[in-house]
Amino acid sequence: MNFLRGVMGGQSAGPQHTEAETIQKLCDRVASSTLLDDRRNAVRALKSLSKKYRLEVGIQAMEHLIHVLQTDRSDSEIIGYALDTLYNIISNDEEEEVDDVEEENSTRQSEDLGSQFTEIFIKQPENVTLLLSLLEEFDFHVRWPGVKLLTSLLKQLGPQVQQIILVSPMGVSRLMDLLADSREVIRNDGVLLLQALTRSNGAIQKIVAFENAFERLLDIITEEGNSDGGIVVEDCLILLQNLLKNNNSNQNFFKEGSYIQRMKPWFDVGDENSGWSAQKVTNLHVMLQLVRVLVSPTNPPGATSSCQKAMFQCGLLQQLCTILMATGVPADILTETINTVSEVIRGYQVNQDYFASVNAPSNPPRPAIVVLLMSMVNERQPFVLRCAVLYCFQCFLYKNQKGQGEIVSTLLPSTIDATGNSVSAGQLLCGGLFSTDSLSNWCAAVALAHALQENATQKEQLLRVQLATSIGNPPVSLLQQCTNILSQGDKIDRRGSKIQTRVGLLMLLCTWLSNCPIAVTHFLHNSANVPFLTGQIAENLGEEEQLVQGLCALLLGISIYFNDNSLESYMKEKLKQLIEKRIGKENFIEKLGFISKHELYSRASQKPQPNFPSPEYMIFDHEFTKLVKELEGVITKAIYKSSEEDKKEEEVKKTLEQHDSIVTHYKNMIREQDLQLEELKQQISTLKCQNEQLQTAVTQQVSQIQQHKDQYNLLKVQLGKDNPHQGSYSDATQMNGIQPEEVGRLREEIEELKSNQELLQSQLAEKDSLIENLKSSQASPGTNEQSSATASAQDSEQIAELKQELATLKSQLNSQSVEITKLQTEKQELLQKTETFAKPAPVPGESEAVAAAKTTDVEGRLSALLQETKELKNEIKALSEERAAIKEQLDASNSTIAILQNEKNKLEVDVTDSKKEQDDLLVLLADQDQKIFSLKNKLKELGHPVEEEDELESGDQDDEEDEDEDNGKDQGPI
Amino acid sequence: MYIIIGDTGVGKSCLLLQFTDKRFQPVHDLTIGVEFGARMVNIDGKQIKLQIWDTAGQESFRSITRSYYRGAAGALLVYDITRRETFNHLTSWLEDARQHSSSNMVIMLIGNKSDLESRRDVKREEGEAFAREHGLIFMETSAKTACNVEEAFINTAKEIYRKIQQGLFDVHNEANGIKIGPQQCISTSVGPSASQRSSSEIGSNSGCC
Repeated sequence: MNFLRGVMGGQSAGPQHTEAETIQKLCDRVASSTLLDDRRNAVRALKSLSKKYRLEVGIQAMEHLIHVLQTDRSDSEIIGYALDTLYNIISNDEEEEVDDVEEENSTRQSEDLGSQFTEIFIKQPENVTLLLSLLEEFDFHVRWPGVKLLTSLLKQLGPQVQQIILVSPMGVSRLMDLLADSREVIRNDGVLLLQALTRSNGAIQKIVAFENAFERLLDIITEEGNSDGGIVVEDCLILLQNLLKNNNSNQNFFKEGSYIQRMKPWFDVGDENSGWSAQKVTNLHVMLQLVRVLVSPTNPPGATSSCQKAMFQCGLLQQLCTILMATGVPADILTETINTVSEVIRGYQVNQDYFASVNAPSNPPRPAIVVLLMSMVNERQPFVLRCAVLYCFQCFLYKNQKGQGEIVSTLLPSTIDATGNSVSAGQLLCGGLFSTDSLSNWCAAVALAHALQENATQKEQLLRVQLATSIGNPPVSLLQQCTNILSQGDKIDRRGSKIQTRVGLLMLLCTWLSNCPIAVTHFLHNSANVPFLTGQIAENLGEEEQLVQGLCALLLGISIYFNDNSLESYMKEKLKQLIEKRIGKENFIEKLGFISKHELYSRASQKPQPNFPSPEYMIFDHEFTKLVKELEGVITKAIYKSSEEDKKEEEVKKTLEQHDSIVTHYKNMIREQDLQLEELKQQISTLKCQNEQLQTAVTQQVSQIQQHKDQYNLLKVQLGKDNPHQGSYSDATQMNGIQPEEVGRLREEIEELKSNQELLQSQLAEKDSLIENLKSSQASPGTNEQSSATASAQDSEQIAELKQELATLKSQLNSQSVEITKLQTEKQELLQKTETFAKPAPVPGESEAVAAAKTTDVEGRLSALLQETKELKNEIKALSEERAAIKEQLDASNSTIAILQNEKNKLEVDVTDSKKEQDDLLVLLADQDQKIFSLKNKLKELGHPVEEEDELESGDQDDEEDEDEDNGKDQGPI
Repeated sequence: MYIIIGDTGVGKSCLLLQFTDKRFQPVHDLTIGVEFGARMVNIDGKQIKLQIWDTAGQESFRSITRSYYRGAAGALLVYDITRRETFNHLTSWLEDARQHSSSNMVIMLIGNKSDLESRRDVKREEGEAFAREHGLIFMETSAKTACNVEEAFINTAKEIYRKIQQGLFDVHNEANGIKIGPQQCISTSVGPSASQRSSSEIGSNSGCC
């Protein structure tokens, strides 16, 4: 306080004293007045003085103002004034505006003032808690100054205030509610408050994210029109950046909450070149940076790749590529877009492949990569843009063997487009490598080096590249051309620093030769190269040449370390001797150390992005620094090693290689065996499958057989009940349930028919005997006449009966034959069925045999049945024949009966005639008797004696004669 | 959203790691504040994204972790079956959780490190009794062997899902920690993480649960 007074004392003059008194009075009023109105007026007065007399008001009134905040919460007006006053005291913003004209000295003073007052205010953490609780007040006059005050407290002493808010219950959560405030001023200032709150405090960032900040901020950004929105959008974006930058947990949450998808519309800028306001450029810039935060190469690899995946899937990358190829995009946005695309594709194959397929909307369409490379080797393009393109190219090739192969292949003779219509990436790179612009040289060299990074195949492929230098001269290999430029570089007049070109080429050569003995051999094959290198290293040149010397030493070291001793004149040992003789080991190592000691070396080793403040700083490539780190040690060792050690090592190496080969052999074997195992496993599984299928088939069939058995048993039982004696039939009937009954019925019917027949036959016999009787009776005419007549009547009756019976028999026969045919067809069907059953029965194992046996059994029974039916048929046939014979007999007897009847009729007629004659004769006799009698009488009368006996005898004789005649006639026909 | 809470070193972070990444990290790495993890699960044929906030168990972070109760739909309250004091502290954790969370928050009691049967200090029955008494779901898990870990998270999610269907949760109120997103995600946050000491305690290899 004394110090403050001292500060104040320097400024204070006469009039200020009175102001101090006034302030003192006002403070007393605030402290002692019992009337709210009084206190409110006093606070209002203090507020009006607080801007001008910040120090005085701050020192004297702060305590009272805090007290007001504690006690007068019910009156929002006084609270509002108090908060405003405190804000004026603590905040530096207003001060700067007012005191625009003042010297810098006083500004610094006022800054001190702000932080000192802040310190006093937060000394009591309850004050901050109190402020937090006041923010729950909805009244605008309280909430707004409250937000502003807290923001400036955070700005003054961020970490301390953050700590207090963090430990106060629900502190952060309450502040999050500000984003939901319907009054835009408060919402926007809330965003600023949260910005200050989340600055470099991971714990608070996480809580804010947990409280759904992403959702709300993205909503606000959308509402405000994305990149077309005002400064509010920018504020929200900066807050998002605070929440996400270097906060893996929040990045993960952002990704898992599907918020990456919501970033896509941000970059829907379309082609209307109308609106590129400064605010829009700023917004887009922050948006792009936000994307980069999520896919930064410094993030954990898994996190970055999952974000890259999401960005491709939701179309964000595609959207960015559209901007890349659009026209009229401001250069800095374009640059940042290139950088963003670079990091979105870096090391993620899918995105890299997509990028390779992007075409610029030119005519004819060119790959985006080619278009970008064109700007990289174009010296009229801005430096940052060229750096961005290089970065993009590097990211495209990072861990992308496919892409590396494609780039290198554009340089190979076989694929170069002979027509020359389109420029390829390789041609552009070569052009850059040998152009007169050192920056292009460097960029092209580094770009080409990235096409070889960790890719032995491409290092060898690139050796095939031949360049046509000028007409008439033989083609030169690319490797040779590089070394030529290195050694004769001075001849060409270049723009920019010569060192840059040489450093670029040396980096390319180092990358090319490392881990590639063939390239080393090619390099050493040109006898000019080694002398050039040793010359460079040995020379005692100026400081600026030290780096080149170091790189030359590195290159020489690489040609030793990766030497496979295939060149007689440049074996490892010989090169080492050369170093010792011409340079000296110590000197060589010292020169080698120049690289990593360079001031720009550590700078480049930090981040993969080539980010240089100006072209002069463009010396080292990030990947190259990694290579140097890797090789520096091993080369130093290799140089110091004696030849004996070398030999020993060689031997060790050889044995190791042997071991390696053995191991690889075994590995291959294991792989093969694995394959075999896999195959066998598959076989087993298929076999298992088959086995299962077969087993199911077997079970099915077994169950079918079981069913049949059951049926069979059932039928057996039924049959046993129906006709227990016919054991042989029941076997046959197991195949069809209906047959046995029918057969039984048939049998019965046949039985019946038989008995009928017998009956008929007996009847026939009876009739025969009857006829016989008749005949015999007729033999004695007269007396038998009557009996024969009755007999014939009986006969005719019997015949009628017989006929009827015959008819019924016939019909019965018919129906039986129908039934028999039915039975036969059924039997046929059954036979077929059994056959079909027998067919699917080729079941493996015993069940098959059983089934077969059963079917044969069944078949046997069936055939037995068939035979029986045949026999039955025969019987029926025989019966019908018998019946026919009987019929004939009947007919015959009928006809004899008819003849007999005719004769009988005739005989009867004769009999009647003879009877009439007899009667007539009798009458005549009686007349004659009468006459004789009368004559006799007359004679007697006349007296004449008459012999009666004679007369009588003669009369008798006549009768006898007549009768004889009759009998003779009657007997004739008989 | 879930939170995982419980004393320091009981295995909260390891539970989360096992659930989200299916791996176990024996080295104890003290959780600072909270860490976020997420995984999709399938419940009743619906894809649900569980968002889990693993909290620091240390007392010094207690005030920070309290901020996570309000928005959580479920909490895994974890203790270490080989250390009785972590069991004894459950009451205070529960009070904290009940005080700062929505009344419908589903709390599941987890006795972790069930693979260390030989060093068991808290009986299974005691855990069951405590859960019964306070109306919690109970389970013993092992983040090391992954035993019951999946079940613990999914059962909690099922319980929350059930409550949603009963209408106890208002899915449209974000403060409940449930969001019906375009992807149907339910997020849950979990309190302070107890995983911190687990590393030192994983020596014996007794069977799982």
